[in-house]
Amino acid sequence: MLNRRLTSAALGLAALALVATGCSAGGATASTTTAGQTLTIGMPNGSQTDNSNPFMNTSSAMSLGYAFAIYEPLVQVNPIQPTQDPVPWLAESWKWSDDFTSITFTIRDGVKWSDGEALTAKDVAYSISLRKDNDALNTAALPYKDVATEGKTVTVTFDSSQYVNQNKVLNLFVVPEHIWSTIADPTTDLNQKPIGSGPYTLKSWTPQAAILVPNTDYWGGKPAVPELRYTSYNDNNALTTALVNGDAQWGWTFIADYENVYISKDKDHNTFWAPAGLGIDTLYLNTETAPFKDVALRKALNMVIDRAAVHTTATSGVFPQLESITGLPTPAGDDYVASAYAGKKFAVDVDGAKKVLADAGYTLDGSTLKDPSGTAVTFTLTDPTGWSDYLTSLQLVADAVKPLGITATVEGMNADAWFTAIANGDFQATMHWTDSGATPWDMYSDIMDGAQYVALGEKANWNFGRFQDADATKALATFATSPDEATRKAALDTVQKVFVEQVPAIGMVARPTAAEYSTKNYVGWPSADDPYNQPQPTGPQASQILMKLKPASK
Amino acid sequence: MTFLARRIGFYLVTAWAAVTLNFFIPRMMPGNPVDALINRYQGQMSSDAIASLNVLFGMDDTSSTFQQYLHYWSLLFHGDLGLSFTFFPTPVGGIITQSLPWTIGLVGLSTILSFVIGTLIGTAIGWRRGTWADSILPITTFFSAVPYFWLGLLAIMLFGVVWQVLPASGGYDGGLVPTFSGEFIGSVLQHGLLPAATIVISSVAGWILGMRNMMVTVSSEDYVTVAQAKGLSERRVMFGYAARNAILPQVSGFALSLGFIVSGTLVMEMVFSYPGIGYVLYQAVSAKDYPLMQGVFLIITLSVLVANMLADLIYALLDPRTRQEG
Repeated sequence: MLNRRLTSAALGLAALALVATGCSAGGATASTTTAGQTLTIGMPNGSQTDNSNPFMNTSSAMSLGYAFAIYEPLVQVNPIQPTQDPVPWLAESWKWSDDFTSITFTIRDGVKWSDGEALTAKDVAYSISLRKDNDALNTAALPYKDVATEGKTVTVTFDSSQYVNQNKVLNLFVVPEHIWSTIADPTTDLNQKPIGSGPYTLKSWTPQAAILVPNTDYWGGKPAVPELRYTSYNDNNALTTALVNGDAQWGWTFIADYENVYISKDKDHNTFWAPAGLGIDTLYLNTETAPFKDVALRKALNMVIDRAAVHTTATSGVFPQLESITGLPTPAGDDYVASAYAGKKFAVDVDGAKKVLADAGYTLDGSTLKDPSGTAVTFTLTDPTGWSDYLTSLQLVADAVKPLGITATVEGMNADAWFTAIANGDFQATMHWTDSGATPWDMYSDIMDGAQYVALGEKANWNFGRFQDADATKALATFATSPDEATRKAALDTVQKVFVEQVPAIGMVARPTAAEYSTKNYVGWPSADDPYNQPQPTGPQASQILMKLKPASK
Repeated sequence: MTFLARRIGFYLVTAWAAVTLNFFIPRMMPGNPVDALINRYQGQMSSDAIASLNVLFGMDDTSSTFQQYLHYWSLLFHGDLGLSFTFFPTPVGGIITQSLPWTIGLVGLSTILSFVIGTLIGTAIGWRRGTWADSILPITTFFSAVPYFWLGLLAIMLFGVVWQVLPASGGYDGGLVPTFSGEFIGSVLQHGLLPAATIVISSVAGWILGMRNMMVTVSSEDYVTVAQAKGLSERRVMFGYAARNAILPQVSGFALSLGFIVSGTLVMEMVFSYPGIGYVLYQAVSAKDYPLMQGVFLIITLSVLVANMLADLIYALLDPRTRQEG
């Protein structure tokens, strides 16, 4: 009889499955209409967990960005217009000491936490002390010395000048003391019911979406969007699909050929904006080994690379083209360009490059370039396999040096092996990003700061090319610490002079802070016409953008 | 009884070896979690965070690997799998309980469906060999030969983007909070339809083929001829005599495949952004998240072992010959 029971069980299961499929097909249209006024924000960051700790980059709140709809910064800084005045936020005003070792914030009145308690200067001082006392929470690695409150002001002092770190200080977000002081260990707390001062509060969290609703007594008024839905997609493709079919209306993912794939699907509303900050992608050259030990070869290489091709071919036009020969992105870096280099742009000059090489004693043997000692010039370009934009850029470099008689090969590597290789200086040429910061200091320091120099074989955090130049190192230190603006300007001019003349590394393309958004339901997004901040959903600017959004008139 | 004791002893030793390998293999991989995290953000996260992350992840820990190994065992016996690095400071146990039900539900159901449908079809075309029914075979093998991700993307393009009749991603509608309401269950079924259908379509051929071939072998056996000679109904002979004997290898194959359900189908979870455990494991591996990797591997190993044991037992139950000693 066993056979009967097995068969009927099997038939039963099959029937159940049929019923299930029948049900689901019927309900198919239900979910597509719920978008209404809800704003869905998507990020391609994979699985998330119920973790809203704003100090952890690994938490769902930080990964998807909703931490910044809940927690607000003291001041809103605009990384794409670094010379513009920051916007007061939780701090009404602030004042740096002349040498940038201390700052006094005056805290806004009438701000309440979402549980009804008032936000005071003590909360601000507590939030900063948390970072000062816990290395694990001090993600910006700021050298805090002391924090003091007096009435509604908070004064923070530092061990050294924070001129180049101003944004990191101004951008600090604030948490309520009455909640966090009761938490046993802020580094391992999941903070599942976050209480913040921002325009939204967390209504529910599920692995599929974090849902936020307006904070009813927000100091800045009532936000226009009645519900935010933060969703994580497992990869770029999934988010692209969601952005294209309208399931998500704000997010950031690299979309190759975005004009056709994304914008053309809804020309009037779908928008992609990729403004540059002060960070770039750079081709690091190992200046301690052949062939890039020789400045002439570095110069020649710099002259033959077509930045326009890198911008259009390698990054599908997504990353802004690098124009100024100082490597500074346009327009964010324009105000910093030394007067000697104003208006000077990268241009492909093969003949000029040949001349530089000939003058330095290089000879052409048939179609092979030989260095003064008679060795053929070859080099290898490496980057992790699968980083297609980088590998395409490298291929463009390899093609560009062919007319000079140089054979360059592009090699993909395992990402972990590459990370070790680049840190230990075990490469000839490789593409890597730089940090961006309040000033061009971060970018130049990452590329050429002798203070970051470590010998080959030891692990470097930056200056992977092991570039050393006493003038540049001194100028970078002066720029970071000098209280005098004219001295700083002169120092930055020196840095640029070394960058242009000695080519410590090659600027390839600007690294944008890019985002896709739809103006179908809401307008007021940051854009080229109104660049009040960078457009990404994950960052302290989120509260500013959310408060600027207005319903689209239909 | 000795049979059972010997099997259990064997599985205990295997479990110990697996847990030990679980501990050491992730640590032999190149790279470390802090570098992996900085790498993943590609400049979006300031390199200043390196110092704070090292402290946070306990990378400044100086105890020897062997001490860590002992510590790992003591944590395991307390049921503590540690804190994940990728989702720091979320406990590994929480991540697994969050994602495992989705995988078991979807992959489990589609594996059962695939097995049932495949076996039934296999029985039918094995019984009626040489008729038009044989042409089902090349059609289904075609679908299993097509790369799964391509099938999945095609399904998404057609049903999710062009016709927009089914959701393209996720396990349920993002606006819902998981409860036992009709709306939520409906949403889960609706979101599960495409992934389940593609899994069934791409895996059913194996079951059909296995069952059909066994049916062909079995139906020439004497007892089948006897059954037919007795005048039993065609259906009775097919299910009661032929299929009952032919299904043995299918059942053990099925028990084994149950073990692999837990490891999920990574490609399906990636293509459909399904909140299952396969993708969690993928993230853990790429982030060098040792605690999470160990936790997921542990669950997978244990379930494969349990499935094996189940296969052993079921087989012994169904086929008395395997029980005989010596």
